[in-house]
Amino acid sequence: MAAKLSLSGPSDSDTSSPSDQSVSGRSVNRSLRIAEKERRKNEAEDPFVLALKYFSDVEPGTPVNGNDQLERNLVCVEKVAYSKGLHPEAISIMLEFAMSLRMGSSPCVRVLKCLIPSSVVPQEAVVRAVVWLGIGKIPISTQVLFIKWVLTVFDMIDAKDQLRAIYGFIFSFVTEENLCPFICHLLYLLTRKESGNFACIVFQGRQPFLMHLLSLYKVFCPELVTLSIPSPMKNAFRNHNSPWKSALLAVQKRNGSQVSSSSLSLTAKDKTNSRKRKHCHLEVPALNSAVNKQAQTDSCSSRKVVPLVQIHSFAQLLENMHRIELPAQMGSLLGSSLTLQFLDCVQDESALLRLNSWLGYALHEEFLFCNDAGSFQNSEEALQFLEKLLSTLHFRQEGFSSIEVFLYKFLNAWDGSLLRPQILGLMSNIPVVTSSQIGQFLFEPLMQLFFTSSLFFKCGLMECLNNMLLKWLTWHSVVFLSFCSVLYPRNITLSGFKDSVMELVHFVGRLATVGLQLEGCHSLLLSFILDFYETVCDMFLKYGLPLVVMPPPGVFYPALFAADPVSVDRLAYIMYRYKVNLTSAKRQEKLKEQAFHISRQTFHEFNHYVVVMVNCLWNSKMFHQGMGVQLGEEVLLKSNVPQYSNSFDLIHHPAFLSYAVDFHQKVRAQVHSKPWRWYLEYLFTQGYDGLKQFVQSNISWQPIAGDGGSDDLATQQR
Amino acid sequence: MIISVVKTPRNSDGAQRSSYRQSYRSYVGAVSRLGLTSALTARRLNTSRRAPRAHNITDKVSPEHLAVLVKKEWQLSYVTPLFQFRHTQLKRYSQQLSAFIAAERQGVAVEVEEPQHSFKASFSVVHGMAEAEEDAETILIQVHSKHHFSRRDDPEKCVWSGWLACINGSPEYIRSLPKDFICLPLFGSSGGDPLTSSVKSWFQQTFDCCFGSLEINHTSLQWLGSLWTNCQPESNIQHLKMIWAVPVVPPLQITYTVNPQDAWELWTCVRKDAQVEKEGEEEEEEEEEGIIDIEEVNMFMQELKSHFYRHFKLDLSAGNLVQVSTALGSAKTSGRIKISNSRYMISTLTLLTECALLKMPV
Repeated sequence: MAAKLSLSGPSDSDTSSPSDQSVSGRSVNRSLRIAEKERRKNEAEDPFVLALKYFSDVEPGTPVNGNDQLERNLVCVEKVAYSKGLHPEAISIMLEFAMSLRMGSSPCVRVLKCLIPSSVVPQEAVVRAVVWLGIGKIPISTQVLFIKWVLTVFDMIDAKDQLRAIYGFIFSFVTEENLCPFICHLLYLLTRKESGNFACIVFQGRQPFLMHLLSLYKVFCPELVTLSIPSPMKNAFRNHNSPWKSALLAVQKRNGSQVSSSSLSLTAKDKTNSRKRKHCHLEVPALNSAVNKQAQTDSCSSRKVVPLVQIHSFAQLLENMHRIELPAQMGSLLGSSLTLQFLDCVQDESALLRLNSWLGYALHEEFLFCNDAGSFQNSEEALQFLEKLLSTLHFRQEGFSSIEVFLYKFLNAWDGSLLRPQILGLMSNIPVVTSSQIGQFLFEPLMQLFFTSSLFFKCGLMECLNNMLLKWLTWHSVVFLSFCSVLYPRNITLSGFKDSVMELVHFVGRLATVGLQLEGCHSLLLSFILDFYETVCDMFLKYGLPLVVMPPPGVFYPALFAADPVSVDRLAYIMYRYKVNLTSAKRQEKLKEQAFHISRQTFHEFNHYVVVMVNCLWNSKMFHQGMGVQLGEEVLLKSNVPQYSNSFDLIHHPAFLSYAVDFHQKVRAQVHSKPWRWYLEYLFTQGYDGLKQFVQSNISWQPIAGDGGSDDLATQQR
Repeated sequence: MIISVVKTPRNSDGAQRSSYRQSYRSYVGAVSRLGLTSALTARRLNTSRRAPRAHNITDKVSPEHLAVLVKKEWQLSYVTPLFQFRHTQLKRYSQQLSAFIAAERQGVAVEVEEPQHSFKASFSVVHGMAEAEEDAETILIQVHSKHHFSRRDDPEKCVWSGWLACINGSPEYIRSLPKDFICLPLFGSSGGDPLTSSVKSWFQQTFDCCFGSLEINHTSLQWLGSLWTNCQPESNIQHLKMIWAVPVVPPLQITYTVNPQDAWELWTCVRKDAQVEKEGEEEEEEEEEGIIDIEEVNMFMQELKSHFYRHFKLDLSAGNLVQVSTALGSAKTSGRIKISNSRYMISTLTLLTECALLKMPV
């Protein structure tokens, strides 16, 4: 915690002034001291005060053995320490007493162990003690204990500026073998940018604590340190708070202290994922600042740049946005959410190419060039990688060209089941493809997969294509809003974009037609297909795309004759939206001279569908001349269905039959006139809003309607 | 192929719309290279290539460099384009790589400027290797080891060497890269694996590139066998040796060695047939003399296979060609190549550069 705070402080300008944290720490400290003084006045005769006086005044060389006075005072201090904790002045006195070895080294350990601060630890005391460390003859074990104590109370030290000022002095203890791990930890907590040049001092050994400190230096001075760090840097610094932990927690709890207990937890951040990786190419590279910057510095040496590694918060990111230096490996930007924020602002083509190279390489190596057959079994990492990629895409709202290139190749090799949700997710992010290429790259492999895969794949693909269309349309609407048609991806013109969308919609129409036949009009598949057409029918009004494409009969009829009322209702809603879009388009066409033109064919198709729907659901003229479904009279007679032309009206339609029966049973007694109207009202109360909107917009519906529907219900036709 | 980069001028629009713009710009930047898409997904190995001519490479390339390149077996990798690699910075790279290897080896952080590393890396340019105008000059990297106890005048021992090359690389691809990138797609290494991986990770971290293994597939091996056989009259190939792996249980490896003269005669027959056929189709220009077509290669291999079948009743088509070797060099499917004669080195490297470029992810 402390390390992070001190590191994240403004690293360039105010090197001398202490950070905000320490300033506020000081003022808190001052007010606390005043309170302590007040209290002490009242308790002049307090044995604790006397004890402290003893320890501050005791002559050097006073014997320890058989010294009852010492024993009594020490017990007194210990009692206070373990119950309430020691106030800052007491800490100073006791620390000074212990480290100066005024009574030899034997009471030293005992004193150190009871140094439980009640509020803060004065920095001066720590600095003095460190100086004693240099000149005294303190046994090594006691020295270690002291540093451990400093680490434990590090966050409670009221300021760190003087400690940083003696950084070099503390650094000199690194050479002491037993002290080294603890000193490294302390230095790690104290290190700031200007300390990086200590890295020039050559280290020997590969101990984790050294590596950890060095990795910090590397962040600040990448050009000075060449270092290879084993990727899982775990537990480099252990917790050294054991002698004080429980007492400190107890005191803090009792005092309700605001010093967070996080000081007791490990400060060095654990790197995740210590698991051994088989496929190293899926590992996002570590964020390092660029070493190879000779070329850049030539051009912009006047400008001060901030390496991305030194950015730790969004606020810092914003502040330094204009002068952030790209990392050594662009792939590392995918590593954290903060760097992703930055990626969003990267405009440099070279940088994006670097990122795409890495990404494409990782995907190709993992899924296309895999030499060992077992690699697909080990897909846990692949899964995580793709998930990460998907969330990146989601965050960025933009694709990566390398993913697209990869997908075009991979679709030809894919079995349709390996990591299906992830691959489909990636696919839905493919930006607009020109209509001349879309067939070869997407439709051909997808068609093959679609017809040879399970129902669930078919549903998944429909969802994916729907998402893809939604994203394309969203792009379009943004372009539409910015009134700048030059900005279509890949220089596609508006008409080119329309062609691509049309291709996609027609392709889905073909897939849906055959898919519904293959799967026996499965209602799940139908539902996904209707999702798609819900997007399609609103393209003009919702996204401003002057294009209306009707569903093929292979989708329309299965939905109309579906056995579940939801599908029929959704079809009715879709037809209603088509109507709204078409009327609005027509109005615009009249308004503006050079507005787009919707072909007569589209209107014809729409009208035909509406007539079929109205005749079928409303007028009971199912098999009349000119309808979509035509059967010979003799065949219909052979079927032995009485009144066959009624069989798909709203009463007899298989989807609504149960409602009709229910309605009949409920209202048999009450309703004598206008049962058709009442039945419709009943259906609409069941939540079939699509049906309601369809009826209201297409049928001039009079309340006096007779039962069974009749000629007075005219269809509105254009 | 159309590669276009659309750059909308900065600050040309209102503040509100500029965010869209920026977003689009980055997008356009990212996908502009997708003009390449069709080429990328449909890319295949060239179906015809120039017959190897004895190069007077000894005139162009220094003998020391040739001595290093020839007669070693190289493990091949492909490398994505190097970002901000400068042929003028080789001295600095040498220092950095030395320090990096020392750090990796000893697990310590070391000062870059320190002169006394136990491993000394050196970069050098092999002038005269580049063929086409777009080709970047070949880079040779050598790592020498220094022993603490060795005397000052002891020769340093070369413990690792490697090179990065681009010979006759696809000009379209190279031109499509932004100017910060250097395309050296073919990497050969020879030496201990730990050093290889050190060098690779240094390159990855310094030039933001990626290394992947480069296999020499069945077709490429057939090409090499044919190209080498074609050299027989000028330079004795001594033998044409092919190893086939046949997928039976237990796995069977068949070594098939052909007398050089027999191989040459078969090859000339195939060539003649093909030439006659070509001439029958259309009047060929004289310049086409040196061009070898994939059909000739396939025919040559087919004839060799049927010859084998006549003798042993074993159809090699069921198996895979895993190794080809002649006196001019040897190549293994695992991506190991040895070039024994520098005169025909260029055509071999051209083929391998092509293989490496086929692996490029973008």
